Amino acid sequence: MSDATPTPALEVRGLTKLFGGVRAVDDCSFVALSGQVTGLIGPNGAGKSTAIDLISGFKLPDAGTVTFKGAPIQGLPPHRISRMGLIRTFQSPREWGGLSVLENVIMARADLGRETFRRGVWGLALAQRATSARELIRAREILGEFGLHDLRNERAGNLSGGQKRLVEFARIRMAEPQLVILDEPMGGVNPVLGERMAVAIEGFIAAGTSVIVVEHNLPFVERVTDHVVVMAQGSVIAAGSFHSLRSNQAVIDAYLGEMVPK
Amino acid sequence: MNEALLTLGFAMVTASILALSAVAFTLQYAVTNVANVSHGEILTAGAYAAYLVHQRTGSAIAAAIAAALAGGLAALAMHSVVIGPFIRFGASPTIVFIATLGMSFVIQNVLVIFFGASNVAYSLDPGPPQHLGPFLLTPLDVEIIASAIAITFVLYLIISRTKFGKALRAVSQNRELARVTGINATRVAAATFFLAGLIAGYAGFVLAESVGSFNPYFGFGFFLITLTAAVAGGLGRAFGTMVGAVMVGIILEFAGGYVSASYNLAFAFAILAIVILVRPRGLFTSARRTVFE
Amino acid sequence: MSAYFISILTEGAIFGIMALGLNVIWGWSGDFDLAYYGYVAVGAYMTLLLTIGPPTAPAHYILGLQLPYPLAVVIAVITAMAVGLVVGLIALRHLRGIYFSIVTLGAVYVIYVVAGQYVPLVDGYNGLSGLFDPMGDWFGLDYQSYQYFLMGLCLVMFALVFILMWRISGSRFGMALRTLREDERAAAAFGRDIYRLKLKGYVLGAALAGFAGALFAAYLSAFNPSAWSPVGEVIALYAAVLVGGRGNIRGVVLGVLIMGLLVQESTRFLSMLPGVGQFNTQHPQILLALRGALIGLVLVLFLRFRPQGLLPERRFVDRQPVGEAAPAST
Repeated sequence: MSDATPTPALEVRGLTKLFGGVRAVDDCSFVALSGQVTGLIGPNGAGKSTAIDLISGFKLPDAGTVTFKGAPIQGLPPHRISRMGLIRTFQSPREWGGLSVLENVIMARADLGRETFRRGVWGLALAQRATSARELIRAREILGEFGLHDLRNERAGNLSGGQKRLVEFARIRMAEPQLVILDEPMGGVNPVLGERMAVAIEGFIAAGTSVIVVEHNLPFVERVTDHVVVMAQGSVIAAGSFHSLRSNQAVIDAYLGEMVPK
Repeated sequence: MNEALLTLGFAMVTASILALSAVAFTLQYAVTNVANVSHGEILTAGAYAAYLVHQRTGSAIAAAIAAALAGGLAALAMHSVVIGPFIRFGASPTIVFIATLGMSFVIQNVLVIFFGASNVAYSLDPGPPQHLGPFLLTPLDVEIIASAIAITFVLYLIISRTKFGKALRAVSQNRELARVTGINATRVAAATFFLAGLIAGYAGFVLAESVGSFNPYFGFGFFLITLTAAVAGGLGRAFGTMVGAVMVGIILEFAGGYVSASYNLAFAFAILAIVILVRPRGLFTSARRTVFE
Repeated sequence: MSAYFISILTEGAIFGIMALGLNVIWGWSGDFDLAYYGYVAVGAYMTLLLTIGPPTAPAHYILGLQLPYPLAVVIAVITAMAVGLVVGLIALRHLRGIYFSIVTLGAVYVIYVVAGQYVPLVDGYNGLSGLFDPMGDWFGLDYQSYQYFLMGLCLVMFALVFILMWRISGSRFGMALRTLREDERAAAAFGRDIYRLKLKGYVLGAALAGFAGALFAAYLSAFNPSAWSPVGEVIALYAAVLVGGRGNIRGVVLGVLIMGLLVQESTRFLSMLPGVGQFNTQHPQILLALRGALIGLVLVLFLRFRPQGLLPERRFVDRQPVGEAAPAST
């Protein structure tokens, strides 16, 4: 790790989204630095998931900018953002259930040159054979790292929730994005797997992928993050290390406000 | 101007029948989230029942009642035998949709087995056309429009004032939540289907004698137009469906003046396609979204 | 070989091609496309329009160019692809599930109504006829031998299409289509342009439909609205794909065999039932109706009890022994 100031992996400025009259995301701004794990926390209904949808192209913002690798990405369709190197997961595991675990990992990389119809028909070129062999080896390696090697031929839809999350992580490793946004990865997962996920996240950073984690599980957030952004009612109310936010009154109020009926 | 008003008058008859059929379809969709492709067959059942009873008794009223009952029973059977079990089984809406398509096919063929495939002539004496304000309508036309309004009103009362209506609204908004509060969702759905079937069966009777003849396939053809009205108004929203039906009825009637009536179906679908593309949630909601929203 | 057997094999091959094409759209991309048979019809009509001579009164239709059959087939397939592209551009943009199915049902009805009612196009309800023994004169075949020739041609074409589908099935393109079916959002999150990919699959399916239609036109020598109705006998095609196994090309072929057998033998079997023979004279449609009801019943039963079909989809199985590929970090 160099001493140079880390550059921003993602810059969000003034992001806004209205549903009817409700401001789900309201002038939201934050920065996620590269080489770091940035946490995104906040009470229910704070707008975290909507913000993620806006950043990753699954919803269209009404206002604001999102800058990734120095380029504006707001309003772009999700597949374009993904190809630029930003991949996100979803609140529930979204494995490709009818495919095998290995197929899930192999298909994690959108290889546009080889996914054409023409290549589907001919595909005998030596180059293609070689790349797919290399790809297969890499996929097996990654599955091994996540302890999924024995399950590689299993139908992905048959796996447990925790295993599906691991498949998702394996897919991310395969795709090697510059930034991955994890949307509540601990949701519905046995806390025992928490440490494994933390290790996987460290693996992402080591491989050059910056991470943003949206999470409710605060011990997990403390474990993995370098920097935390707190959202409430659609905007960012505080940012800093987890430790510093613990005593931040605004943050405490936001979480307490969730528990006391208005 | 006179021409237009005349056409509008005719359109009101078509719209009335369409409104009844569409609201019946919407009721079914509201309580089960299923687009029942055999909906048309409920109308066909009504038409056959009416015809048979009318033959025996010579009474149009008896025919109307028979049609409603036949429709109600047919719809109830559809729910109990196919739709209900598929929902309990946890099938996706598309799977149930395909199943109702298969069911529609079976019913049409069964009707052919029992009644043959040829057209059955059926008409009531419409009476002499009279001027009602700017419109030219026969007494029969007036009866049709009036009965449609009356049925709609009764339906409105049922949905808004009765306990059953409350349960219906609860189930249509959130099935699981309704269950939790003690409502037997399946029973409510079955009763709703029966109710919808009564309306649709009656509509089948009216449609058959309006057109002058019917056969085992005639309900399916009308179903496609019904679908247009229902989707235009917003699937699952009764008020919107009514308005949708009136609009589609008017458009079809006016368009039919320029092109032969057999293009009706194509027209209906052109409208449907446009509505779905521009406003998939119906004409009364706002919708600007990506495919994921 | 009896004429009956020859016709079964020929028809079977043609329906096999149709089923394989439907499998791309319904089995792999996961969209229940009701417009599919419309592309078959477009292929058939176009082939006839290009091969028969100019219209003589009272028949009305366009073209009538008397082109050689193989050229007509190519153009017919392209036409079917074009129509499929138009429908796909509209229907695949925003719609999924039943909304998609309903719009495609609308599309096929529009095609059906226009073809059947707008007389100047393809002579309306009369349809087109006159494609007798295409390519027969190239080889100097008489009527008898031509039946064998056509059967052989259809079987060879079917085999080629099957091989094509087999290659696609195992390729990244095929797998990419399947990711769309399994989880579209995840596919988009991992870089797939959903709209474009679905369109490709859709047009491919339409191409195969058009191709089958072109062969069908040669087999029937004619084509008119009674040869197809958007949701009539077509149900058998969907039933075949479902029964055999959506997504599995061998399953789909099995489904065609089963439905074909069902369709053929049921008529024979049913007419032997007591009383049915009587009915048949009173209501001539009754056998067809019984058969239709049976097909619908099979469809519903399979949807309920075996929606994945008889042969479920196959996944790539990695046979490398455990331990060889996993690195020492286990």
